[in-house]
Amino acid sequence: MFNWFKVTGWLMLLMLAPKGAIADHYHLGKPASDKVIAGWDIDVRPDGLGLPQGSGSVVDGEGLYDEKCASCHGSFGEGEGRWPKLAGGEDTLRDDRPEKTVGSYWPYVSTLWDYIHRDMPINAPQSLATDEVYAITAYVLNLNDLVDEDFVLNQDNLAKIEMPNKNGFYVDNRPDVSNPRCMKNCKDPKSIKVVATISGITPTAHFKHDGNDGVAYQQSAVAVNVAPEVVKTYQNACQMCHDTGLNDAPKTGDVQQWQARLGKGKQALYNNALTGINGMPAKGGRTDLSDEMVKSIVDYMLALSK
Amino acid sequence: MKIKVKAKEKDGIVKVKMLVKHPMETGRRKDAQGVLIKVNHLTEVKVEHQGNVLFHGEFGMAVSKNPFMAFAYKGAKGDKLSISSVDNLGLTGQADVTVK
Repeated sequence: MFNWFKVTGWLMLLMLAPKGAIADHYHLGKPASDKVIAGWDIDVRPDGLGLPQGSGSVVDGEGLYDEKCASCHGSFGEGEGRWPKLAGGEDTLRDDRPEKTVGSYWPYVSTLWDYIHRDMPINAPQSLATDEVYAITAYVLNLNDLVDEDFVLNQDNLAKIEMPNKNGFYVDNRPDVSNPRCMKNCKDPKSIKVVATISGITPTAHFKHDGNDGVAYQQSAVAVNVAPEVVKTYQNACQMCHDTGLNDAPKTGDVQQWQARLGKGKQALYNNALTGINGMPAKGGRTDLSDEMVKSIVDYMLALSK
Repeated sequence: MKIKVKAKEKDGIVKVKMLVKHPMETGRRKDAQGVLIKVNHLTEVKVEHQGNVLFHGEFGMAVSKNPFMAFAYKGAKGDKLSISSVDNLGLTGQADVTVK
């Protein structure tokens, strides 16, 4: 709700800004004309502000409703299938399964008018003429027994209709956080002890906390003394295949596979890594790596696979 | 109890749709305190045209809350239908409608 106010607040500021100022400054777009703004400015407020001139009767609304609305909302607003109910549900808001309908829940008629005008029918929004919107609104009110069958709705009497649940809402005025800023005689931050944290909801133990978040990390069983950048480069460039055996890559740590390859000599392994072999492109596709780095990584993988 | 009716003629066939506002308690449901809610359901719904019965339903606890019913008959615009309903507590509902 409050975010919505913020958004509308900014929109209003934009509307108040001198027309064209933004377009001129950034050399983008074109100034919105009054006609363009009018196309967007269709909201209706509970007091009736924003309603266009027009009227519609319950009788006219019944025909339109049967034609355009009843296939989803039901002949009497009872809702077909799982489409929304429009009528009924009185005194069910405190039940385990409340039925929130126009009659049982909605606080203002303006919302009904605005919704129908803005979004209905769902396959052709904003296709209804103003008087048709008034007529269908009147009929939905009639389905909820809020107006009589001979009622005619217009821009002047819409806001005067009292909805049953009008007083069922309240402003939640709790602050976002109750955390007043301390300006003097404050606690020493070091003395503040965190007594409870929420943790353990998402398992994170398998993530490595060195900037490689999101990469499943397997702690190497063999401790190897190697430069950190070699490890890091291995993680970025090689482990996707060599940790998992993807594309028949020899798995790091698989002694049998690596010792078989080592039989051809270390230089042959270096050459394969530098120029590519079988499914592996030259340098594993990372031609930006130096030859020395690739060789160091081969050494590293061999060390892990003894 | 309130009965809502729509009756429309097209090509000599009148389609009648009805919705009776009724809680249709089965007598087996319990309230928040665990006490059984008293049985209360429709027992009969009848639609008549000039003394002829067009629709007659005998209802029990298996029928849903606010039951919706529809039927069709050969008729004409201007037919005056009279709909009546009774529930197990003896409460009645009544509605009259002219076919459009």
